[in-house]
Amino acid sequence: MNKRSQNDEDVKALFEKFVNSEQAEQAAEDFLEAEQILRSCPAPGPDDEVIAGIKSQIAWALLDRKEIVFKRKALKAVAVAAVFIVLAALSVKLFEKQSQPQKIVYASIIPRAIWESEDIVSDDVNLATLTAEIEQIKDEMLALQLDDDGDNGSGVIEELEMEFIEINSDFWKG
Amino acid sequence: MAKSEDLTRIITGCKKGNAECFSQLVDIYSKRCYGYFYRLTGRREISDDLLSELFVKLVEKISSYKGSSFESWLFKIASNVFHDYLRSKQRYKKLLEVQKKQLESEVTEPKHREDDRADKLQKELDKLDADTRELIMLRFYSQLSFKEIAEMRSEPIGTTLSKLHRGVKRLRELME
Repeated sequence: MNKRSQNDEDVKALFEKFVNSEQAEQAAEDFLEAEQILRSCPAPGPDDEVIAGIKSQIAWALLDRKEIVFKRKALKAVAVAAVFIVLAALSVKLFEKQSQPQKIVYASIIPRAIWESEDIVSDDVNLATLTAEIEQIKDEMLALQLDDDGDNGSGVIEELEMEFIEINSDFWKG
Repeated sequence: MAKSEDLTRIITGCKKGNAECFSQLVDIYSKRCYGYFYRLTGRREISDDLLSELFVKLVEKISSYKGSSFESWLFKIASNVFHDYLRSKQRYKKLLEVQKKQLESEVTEPKHREDDRADKLQKELDKLDADTRELIMLRFYSQLSFKEIAEMRSEPIGTTLSKLHRGVKRLRELME
């Protein structure tokens, strides 16, 4: 109780800042007397079991705290690693983009397969249809010329020739 | 009482999570803190609980201790623990019931002469208003200076001195 004694020595001086010397002395005396009363009636101390219980509670609390600190550190490390990975991936992509020469891509109007093919007719659907129709008319004409069509064959031939001419001109018109 | 260097070493150990250092803190301060709680509540069971709560809080908060007066810091926490306890309505009700029972048993059961004065002190302390009682107990058990108590309570030192003086004067009168 050394500190208390030191403080007691200051009580009068402290009170003198607010009240007169006589009142300050009385106040210091009141304090001393009250402290003597309190000292003469000591409060009970905690039981040993209580102290043991508190120490064990502290040990548990410390374990919890260590666990929390570890978890926090682990989470921090994971977060930092994730950020690092994302940044690395982004910078690699950016680097790749910058280092590649720019390619000029030309759009081709005619499909490359058709362009390079030798057999244009089989590659173009419209042309193939027209060619098939011409072939059919040719066959019909040939059949008529061989008299497969009977007596009225000449009229039909003319008609077919006209149709043939018409298709041909349509085709070349586009 | 632990020397200043010893206390600094113990607190440094506590900050590092050393259980042995916390154990030493318990040994140094448990009696005074228990006395503080006991004189404010008048009940051993409640004081046991509050003391446990205080030291568990100490483990949680030790990292926030910045190196000012440790006793002032410790008793500030003790005061908060006590106020939290009071704020809990159920506990407050329990305290009233317990005090009522205590008064009833005092009427019916005669006590030893040795205990009489101690019990008289507890009874007379209950006659003081809660704030004054707490202030006197804080001064006596924490052994803080008036200036430290005033700072802790965030009030001018003159107010603290005046309240304390009124309290101790009244206590003197009651105990005569």
